[in-house]
Amino acid sequence: MNVHKFSVNVATPDRTIVSIKDYPVYDNHITFLFGESGIGKSLISKALYGLLDTSELTVTINDIPYADHLKSKWLTDSRANSFFVFQEPSSHLNPLMKISEQLNEGSLDCGNERDILEYLWQHSYDDTLDTILDVYPKPYRPSGGEKQRILLTMAFKKIQALIDQNDRDLSTYFVFDEPTGSLDNRYRNLFLRLLLDRYCKRQFTAVIITHDYSIISEIYNQYKSLVPYIHFKELSRVDTTEVRVDDFSADDYLSWLHSSRWSTVHSNVQKKPVLEFGADFSIFSRNLRIYQDKEHTQPSPLIIDKGSIVYLKAPSGVGKTTIAKIILGIYKADSFSMMLCEKKYSQNTHQSVWAKRVWGKQAGMVFQHADESLDLQATVKETFDGLSTRMKNDLDTLLGQLFAPRTIEAIRHKKTALLSGGQKQRLNLLRTLALKTDLVIFDEPLNGLDFANVKKVLELLNQLRMNGTAILMISHNEEIFEALIDEENILYLAEVT
Amino acid sequence: MKTGKRSFFQTLLNEKDKRWALIWLVIMIVVAIWNYLFLNKPALQKVITGFINTFTIATLVVIFTLMLGWGFTLLLHYLGKNKGKTGYMAIMFILNLLRSIPQIIGVLLTYIAIASLITSGAITSSLFLFPLMAFSMSLFIVNELIDLMRDRIDHFRKLDFYNAMQVCGIAEHRIINFDILWKNSRIHIFNKLISVFGSAIFLQCSVDFIISVGLSTQVNAVTLPVTLGSLLAKIDSKQDILAIGNTLTNPSYLPNLFFGHLLGVTVAFLIVFSLMCIYHIANGYAERHKL
Repeated sequence: MNVHKFSVNVATPDRTIVSIKDYPVYDNHITFLFGESGIGKSLISKALYGLLDTSELTVTINDIPYADHLKSKWLTDSRANSFFVFQEPSSHLNPLMKISEQLNEGSLDCGNERDILEYLWQHSYDDTLDTILDVYPKPYRPSGGEKQRILLTMAFKKIQALIDQNDRDLSTYFVFDEPTGSLDNRYRNLFLRLLLDRYCKRQFTAVIITHDYSIISEIYNQYKSLVPYIHFKELSRVDTTEVRVDDFSADDYLSWLHSSRWSTVHSNVQKKPVLEFGADFSIFSRNLRIYQDKEHTQPSPLIIDKGSIVYLKAPSGVGKTTIAKIILGIYKADSFSMMLCEKKYSQNTHQSVWAKRVWGKQAGMVFQHADESLDLQATVKETFDGLSTRMKNDLDTLLGQLFAPRTIEAIRHKKTALLSGGQKQRLNLLRTLALKTDLVIFDEPLNGLDFANVKKVLELLNQLRMNGTAILMISHNEEIFEALIDEENILYLAEVT
Repeated sequence: MKTGKRSFFQTLLNEKDKRWALIWLVIMIVVAIWNYLFLNKPALQKVITGFINTFTIATLVVIFTLMLGWGFTLLLHYLGKNKGKTGYMAIMFILNLLRSIPQIIGVLLTYIAIASLITSGAITSSLFLFPLMAFSMSLFIVNELIDLMRDRIDHFRKLDFYNAMQVCGIAEHRIINFDILWKNSRIHIFNKLISVFGSAIFLQCSVDFIISVGLSTQVNAVTLPVTLGSLLAKIDSKQDILAIGNTLTNPSYLPNLFFGHLLGVTVAFLIVFSLMCIYHIANGYAERHKL
């Protein structure tokens, strides 16, 4: 196995953004790259692929100027046979060109995409696929998941072309940046199966940037024979700009997963419902129902006792975040009934009641996107200044739950915008936890975290639960939460047709 | 890790707003020295007074616009929660009425009212007169700032930003004033205020010019403070401006402009050059902050 090692440095005129030494690219192997959001995974990959704009950035690769790297044999040879799947499919696609044309544009004009599309859609090539391919990409048409699969189709066309050429000497470097971010587990597994199936036909170099640790279990369960050809790596921070790459131990993750289960709270917490939400409700003219079984046969109200956790599952877009926002009075449902801390709420309750009684006192919520829900122009300290709970002296203790003491000093007076994605997410969590409310709703609390922080956050949530807080969990990390939470505390949300 | 501080000259080269602010300052100093050397003392005194008055009133316009804009924005936000309510409708009606009047006409009308107060003896001190002139002008400019501030609030309300803060129990007045308007919009607001400053100079000069050439019988240059606009409208300045036209057909006359016609040329230059610099400063500021 041939390994290329790269030292990458990316800087603006004012500061260094990211710097890494000995970043490995394994020839004809697949590397899964983990690490917290904003640490530089995409930036390093784009730098190596030759995609950075040098009018704003100074880039050096192995201490040589970027222009020389762009002309290097490794890059020119690799790029000719490879593809970069960007994290945000909407920004990749040309809004003024039909998708069918984009699938055959430039170097993609190399064979037929029909089989790949049918596989990724699990659909025969009928009117449905024709309709999707015959449109100009717009923000909501096709959906995010469909756009992601279109980009994957482009990458798989290049892989297929490679297989068809049957030349073992061709150099490759595929990058998939969060390729499954908008896909549910079923489509995620289809992508993985197609990728590894093609890999068996013709080995190629690929780096897959992801936060989805359940890919590890899938590989170990379904494709164990390929494990020698697969690397799991994790980026971690050395200081504010320098990062390093380490092996990510798949065994550690799997053993942690199998040994983790949150025990039921018995002794010190009295069983008392904090939240009772009726099984049926409607909003935006849609009727939704909560079930206690995944077959959707037994409707069940959502009841969360003091010191317990309920995990609410549903496919993307059904309304998990919507129900959270109804509970907190942000959305006005057409009809619903709810008891929160022994007070009744319905569609007739005025929003001011939530403002007076609930927000920051009885219930809190950690929103899905830390970037949107924090004031990015405020400092870390200012993030906590407006909370109803005064915590001038406790700020260090609070931050200490998820940040190292050295980091706290460095970030206390720093603008939130300058924190990494993972740090923002931890701040987002701590702001709500500082309130000490009876109910906390977590919407994707593990977004953007590295594995060490995933474990820390889960430990903190368990502690919170043990102390009597009722928790409603919404997350696409099904594997982790199904391992942690008893089956009886998992509910399912579905639309009633 | 910092990669080294940029030099002063690099900053000026890269940051258009600072570059134009410096250009304006340097040119003003050069003009002041030239006038000090070659303009007669009474005329020089008039130019200095006109310049200071114009810029003082424009500064006051900025201050009043900011205060009125912020106040109306908050009022509309809180009243707007119940859109059927009379208060919201009444304020929207007044603001839309002000919006419907062309700024120059509005300022002219308020100047007529101010002049009648001066002639009736109700206003005697310029300490009161300047703020009154500035306030009346800001009434016809403030809608621009209100629109901007309300757009900013609406933008953040559509994001989880607003909801996430509310459910943390953060007071609404803090979210609006501190987090949205101060922390996340002050760059936008400051940029708008630079434009307001430019508009205030332009409006003043235009209205003063209209008044000084005698379009209104109620208002005259005697009743209102000397400004660059009123200086430009005086007969001496008009002759100086005509001399510029004469230079186009008779280039050898050019040197006389900088000695014999200095009053009119200076006033015209101060107005045009200052407005041009303000335009570039506002644009540069917007570019630098990627607005």
